[in-house]
Amino acid sequence: MIKLFKVKEKQRELAENASGGAPVKKQTAGELRLHKVNFKPPLDFLLDMTRDISELNLPKSCTMQFPNGKDDLMNFEVSIRPDEGYYLGGTFLFSFQVSPIYPHEAPKVKCKTKVYHPNIDLEGNVCLNILREDWKPVLNINTVIYGLYHLFTEPNYEDPLNHDAAAVLRENPKMFESNVRRAMAGGYVGQTFFPRCM
Amino acid sequence: MADASVQSSRSRDLDKLLLRPGNLVGPRFEPGPEMRDDLQTYARVLVVGAGGLGCELLKDLALSGFRNLEVIDMDRIEVTNLNRQFLFRLEDVGKPKAEVASKRVMERISGVNIVPHFCRIEDKDISFYNDFNIIALGLDSIEARSYINSVACSFLEYDSDNNPREETIKPMVDGGTEGFKGHARVIMPGITPCFECTIWLFPPQVKFPLCTLAETPRTAAHCIEYAHLIKWNEVHGGVAFDPDNPQHMKWVYDEAVKRAELFGIPGVTYSLTQGVVKNIIPAIASTNAIISAACALETLKIATECSKTLSNYLTYNGAEGLHTKVTEFERDKDCLVCGPGVLIEVDPSVTLQKFIDLLEEHPKLRLSRVSVTHRGKNLYMQAPPVLEEMTRSNLSLTLFELMGKLSKDVVNVNGTTTKNDQKISCLRKLSVVFKGIDGVTDMDTAGGA
Amino acid sequence: MAEPKVKYDRQLRIWGEQGQTALEKSSICLLNCGPTGSETLKNLVLGGVGSITVVDGSKIEEGDLGNNFMVDESSIGQSKAKCVCAFLQELNDAVKAKFIEEYPEELIETNPSFFSQFTLVVATQLVEDSMIKLDRICREANVMLILARSYGLTGFVRISLKEHAVIESKPEHFLDDLRLNNPWPELKSFAEGFDLNVQDPVVHKHIPYVIILVKMADEWAKSHGGALPSTREEKKEFKELIKARMVGQDEDNYKEAIEASFKVFAPKGISSDLQQIINDNCIEADSNSSDFWLLVAALKEFIAHEGGGETPLEGSIPDMTSSTEQYVNLQNIYQAKAEADFVAIERLVRSLLKKVGRDSNSIPKTMIKSFCKNARKLKVCRYRLIEDEFNSPNLPELQKYLTDEDYSTAVGIYILLRAVDRFAANYNSFPGQFDSAMDEDVPRLKSTAVGLLSDLGCNGATLAEDLINEMCRFGAAELHAVAALVGGIASQEIIKKLHYLGSSQLITRQFVPMSGTFIFNGIDHKSQLLSL
Repeated sequence: MIKLFKVKEKQRELAENASGGAPVKKQTAGELRLHKVNFKPPLDFLLDMTRDISELNLPKSCTMQFPNGKDDLMNFEVSIRPDEGYYLGGTFLFSFQVSPIYPHEAPKVKCKTKVYHPNIDLEGNVCLNILREDWKPVLNINTVIYGLYHLFTEPNYEDPLNHDAAAVLRENPKMFESNVRRAMAGGYVGQTFFPRCM
Repeated sequence: MADASVQSSRSRDLDKLLLRPGNLVGPRFEPGPEMRDDLQTYARVLVVGAGGLGCELLKDLALSGFRNLEVIDMDRIEVTNLNRQFLFRLEDVGKPKAEVASKRVMERISGVNIVPHFCRIEDKDISFYNDFNIIALGLDSIEARSYINSVACSFLEYDSDNNPREETIKPMVDGGTEGFKGHARVIMPGITPCFECTIWLFPPQVKFPLCTLAETPRTAAHCIEYAHLIKWNEVHGGVAFDPDNPQHMKWVYDEAVKRAELFGIPGVTYSLTQGVVKNIIPAIASTNAIISAACALETLKIATECSKTLSNYLTYNGAEGLHTKVTEFERDKDCLVCGPGVLIEVDPSVTLQKFIDLLEEHPKLRLSRVSVTHRGKNLYMQAPPVLEEMTRSNLSLTLFELMGKLSKDVVNVNGTTTKNDQKISCLRKLSVVFKGIDGVTDMDTAGGA
Repeated sequence: MAEPKVKYDRQLRIWGEQGQTALEKSSICLLNCGPTGSETLKNLVLGGVGSITVVDGSKIEEGDLGNNFMVDESSIGQSKAKCVCAFLQELNDAVKAKFIEEYPEELIETNPSFFSQFTLVVATQLVEDSMIKLDRICREANVMLILARSYGLTGFVRISLKEHAVIESKPEHFLDDLRLNNPWPELKSFAEGFDLNVQDPVVHKHIPYVIILVKMADEWAKSHGGALPSTREEKKEFKELIKARMVGQDEDNYKEAIEASFKVFAPKGISSDLQQIINDNCIEADSNSSDFWLLVAALKEFIAHEGGGETPLEGSIPDMTSSTEQYVNLQNIYQAKAEADFVAIERLVRSLLKKVGRDSNSIPKTMIKSFCKNARKLKVCRYRLIEDEFNSPNLPELQKYLTDEDYSTAVGIYILLRAVDRFAANYNSFPGQFDSAMDEDVPRLKSTAVGLLSDLGCNGATLAEDLINEMCRFGAAELHAVAALVGGIASQEIIKKLHYLGSSQLITRQFVPMSGTFIFNGIDHKSQLLSL
């Protein structure tokens, strides 16, 4: 390809000479096109995300926010309002951070609402298999949101992150229910204060 | 010795390859002194990464007839680099890799010019990359490879028969190593598979379930990840964990030790803690040398066609015995990054709404519920409602304006189409050309920038 | 302030402190420090070998500046060995670097005992005659030899050593040693303490899969006259039975059990590779036996008696879904069995040592332990004398290579790399070394190669014309990228070898070196290993 490199380089020199030796960048149509706007390359993961987001089919009670505007789909928030179960009436906010190699890697999800829940700890870590060990590139944002939604309709004590909450759910579902109510209304469960989220 | 003059020349050995005709060579191989001189004068190669592979690549390319090299790397030299990054010395620790590497190679090989760039690859304007004839990648992350691949493929243009236009092909050679294993590959966008066509070659990283870390740890790594992912936030609240801060690392190590003792789990060491938390990949000099040399050799072949080229993926495994294998991977014809996309000619007066309607009628597409993206900007999004609202006003604007008044460019669309009576989701690359717009006309507006 | 440990961190993660010590104890001799030799040593010096001695009699010419990074303009006319040695020293001051300004060919002729001081000799760019002589010297002195050569776009790497026994071979895909097809009494009774029908779902989903499989296999055997599943249908049925025991969709331990059920179906006893080692004739233990073969003799006895057809248990288990407590208990069961097996082997080793008249404690405990842990993965590599291979190669293999599409280019390179030395012996220059003789050199090389083939017993065999032509075109050029690649491979094999040699301690014998001759094909990278 050296001939081709040479031709390109000659064109470039020619253009430089034409502009009085000033070291301007190349003058081909393609080059100008790139100079005019500081373009990003069309990155594959952005396209995957655009597809995922534009095809979302959310549970009715879920809404999304894009704090950085319409062009940053890599950081967003999802509010979940469960319409049945222990957490009926609460609103829970999750932050999503999507990596540049999505969907090769799962999005990072944190629960921003402090919640009394066996599978979500007080720091907002979420124990959901598809976010960690079971993530596969065929999964998408929709699957994750549904997975999160299910954590509220069917919390389980078998994979606990909040050990105490899991123990109560297991030993005494009635007490668990009243703890959840107290936490969502804004109050203490044991030593821990939960801000109101209803 | 009849050929004393040739024997004493600096390119004594390389000349055999570049000056003599051969039988197993590329179709446009033109041996002779001109070829050698052109290689020195006109071939411009960018080396991405000045680490284990990058150091070797710079040396290998400089001794393979290339004289115009540039190197980009955002990292500074660390002590742990010294077992393989042979251009660095203990007293260089803390200095930018790209700068030291360039200086060392230029000191030893006269006539070679290497320009260092101490910055992130994303910091460079995309046109920076178009100045090179070949890009050689010595990287250790999928993200960075994916980025450079997208950049290189974005220069690619196809002719009306969907054949890649040769002058727009930006060849890449890519190397990677892990311990005794490595790979080298040649990517000719539009001809051989690009990085994105074969992304499945990279296995996803193993991640432990959080509840295992919290409730049923069994291995030393579980204890370390507990301290790193759960305990750190619990104790330090808003302070972000910094893997390069030795105090942070020490804290995680101490916590991991405590947890391991509590559960009777052996094996937590400081070294393992660093390895798990930073996902350290073991690295040795020999593998880097092997893989870089293969990449440099292919770079020389791409430029000169002095031999056949690697087609297109070489794996090397010295972990158990010695195994090498060449695999000819195939392109993904519908690849969004390197594929030709569907050519669409439209009038500059067409609005985005009209354009979307056109896609529904287009015989090759028949797309409904279309969303449109142009170079990372979402022009219209069907869902969710909040984004639909934010982008709705674009529908009445012209596509020409929305695309920055370019004569042609790529947009990506997705929507649903019907195949065998089933609705399927479909993400497509479209090559949009505006009728009657000549790209060079606005030279005056761009030149002064 | 920067301790060497930190500097070597990225490699210590592969071979550990003991492996590093083995490197640091080694002394390496390099013959010829052109780019192939220099690049080989560079990788070893960076890794921290003990000492290097560079032997080269030539002076630096301008042509060397174009392919060797370790010489520079200011040293033209000076000793190449000196200049390369100085650069290498700069890379790592922990390495003792020396040079000897002398031609290797002369040293081989006049001072063969010189080589016995080294752990390993790496000889680059030697011609056939010198290779054969050096190989004989090294074999006699029991010094490991690595030969490497770059020639145009081709090259080779060859190891020569009587025998190389690897204990910690660290294979990548090796079945873990769980004995699910042949559980010992303690594991069985431990499994009996679990109830697969337990009501508590948390307990149910945390039963380790090892236990599930031992119990299910036991159940199966009871209803099948003591046999385990063997046919496809039976295996399928066995998996279905496991599936039927699941109470929830997300019971990872049961999923793991189904996935690992093949471990129940695996044949009992030792592999055919190991069978071959314990049947080796080196095994007759006497006072001359190496530690390795004494250990193998003890192993053979163990397998025949105490082990009931099995090797000593490895003792480690993979991570699996489980409660921490049960996982730790299970680990203890495996470790106890491994310890008991080790004690049995140790007893056998001690009595064998006594029998052959050695101090019964002359093989340390740690070595026996490592041997037990890795007994299933033992590897013995042997290498022919170069001379034997060159004079009487494995003919059926050679003929197979010549006609096999995947090998024909590689074997062509092999033959031509030997033919160019014959050519040089006859015509005083390599084919294509001078532009003026190109036209006559091609047919000459062809007839030399054909002659060589017929000497080897392959009458009528031919090589591709294109390849012969290319070989002349290469004209013995040593291209930097090829030299770096060939030297890289040579250095990697040396590192693997040093782990064997570095000390008398077998524990550091990790990684399996290559066997045969590696033929580098830089034309399309379809390189091959040839066993001739």
